[in-house]
Amino acid sequence: MENDKVKIQICMGTTCFVMGAAKLQELEKYLPPQFRGKVEISAQPCLNVCQDSGYLKAPFVKINDELIDGATVGKILEKLEEIIV
Amino acid sequence: MKQYPLFIDIDVAQQKKFNQNAYGDFFISKRSPEEQRLIAVLSDGLGSGIKANILANMTATMILKFIAAERNIAKSAEIVMNSLPICQVRKISYATFSVVDCSENGTVKIVEEGNPEFLHIRNGKVIPSEPKIVVSKKFPTRSMRTYTIQLEAEDRLIFCSDGVTQAGLGGSLFKLGWRRDGLVKFVEDKIEVLPDISCRQLAQDIVAEAQTKEPERKAKDDISCMVLHMRKPRNLLVFTGPPYYADRDAEYAHLFINYNGKKAICGGTTANLVSRELGLPITTEMFVKGHLPAYSYMTGVDLITEGILTLTKAIEYLEDAPEQIPDDAAGKLVNLFLDSDYITFMVGAKVNQAHFDPDLPLELEIRKNVVKRMEKILTQKYVKQVNLRFI
Repeated sequence: MENDKVKIQICMGTTCFVMGAAKLQELEKYLPPQFRGKVEISAQPCLNVCQDSGYLKAPFVKINDELIDGATVGKILEKLEEIIV
Repeated sequence: MKQYPLFIDIDVAQQKKFNQNAYGDFFISKRSPEEQRLIAVLSDGLGSGIKANILANMTATMILKFIAAERNIAKSAEIVMNSLPICQVRKISYATFSVVDCSENGTVKIVEEGNPEFLHIRNGKVIPSEPKIVVSKKFPTRSMRTYTIQLEAEDRLIFCSDGVTQAGLGGSLFKLGWRRDGLVKFVEDKIEVLPDISCRQLAQDIVAEAQTKEPERKAKDDISCMVLHMRKPRNLLVFTGPPYYADRDAEYAHLFINYNGKKAICGGTTANLVSRELGLPITTEMFVKGHLPAYSYMTGVDLITEGILTLTKAIEYLEDAPEQIPDDAAGKLVNLFLDSDYITFMVGAKVNQAHFDPDLPLELEIRKNVVKRMEKILTQKYVKQVNLRFI
């Protein structure tokens, strides 16, 4: 069976870290039971977004390659609900 | 990249005589990078405690200053030998001395007076040396041994005060003390098991072993040991910041990975570009340690950390020099620095505009300034050779 877990990549670069990625690392704790086992959370040294993002804000998170700016636990969970139907 | 000559590493370990508040032996050293020279002196003061300390201190400091100023070590030592006072009662010097004058090409001049003969170790075995005996014209009972030897890579020299060779003297097990033979066997065995043992560790092990020979481990005399090691330099290359011209990314990534020595990357963007250009994946840990992002891994790279925050924290650790360096990304970086002799920083001049976003909760220093501060403290406080390269 294909690995169809949702890939969540949290940027750990300087800007993202300082703007809140540090707290996002505890995302696992906030996952409601229906999402557990369906997501794969990993850290990335840098998503290369902050320099060219225009008005978008750090911290940046990629969910299945879709970029979330100004990421918070709430925003991530919202997106997960859209994907994991 | 620049090819570095052999590195002269030196360290000393000491144990005070039991119940004394001051060390009766004294060690002093001086490196002069301009002349590529290292001079070190180990002196054993007559008696023990603070009086011996002052005698040894004076003797060693005088000799060091004299030899640093004079090129001819034998002549300097003779002058010092003739001018230092002798105890009128015992008719011996107030302090012994062993001086070593080492240049980076491996030529070593040694003068010893009163201390046990040094050990010269090559390929794990002690090899003999021929001294030239110089008798003092002023005090005929006084003489010193002078040597000129050529060290090869990985050679070691071990000097000690008689507290080492006479350890256990008069006790039931070692009636004549540990003796030079005992020391030789111990050192040869130790190096056979740990051929890369550091000067610091070897000196500490010798002093500790000498102390175990004493009844009830109470040192009857000050025990001091100085180890000099002529070794291949430990190089470290730190890549931090993307190159100013993006079309040179590939060139610098290859330069980095082909470096002969340890390698570290400080910065997410930098890590990404190396990974991209060389096709090597990065795995990043998911934890925060000490308010810093975790470190990452890549084959062939010893450490990958985040950039500015980690570098700034590393400077803080280097300045404060805590007993236990914290086990976070900055701590790991500091340990890499401390274990290296020649450190090169490849500093990318590209600036990340996002770091100047007024919404950032704290101020991030410019990379160039951080690296310059790093260079200053590593060279001044830790006597490392640092090379900055802006790309």
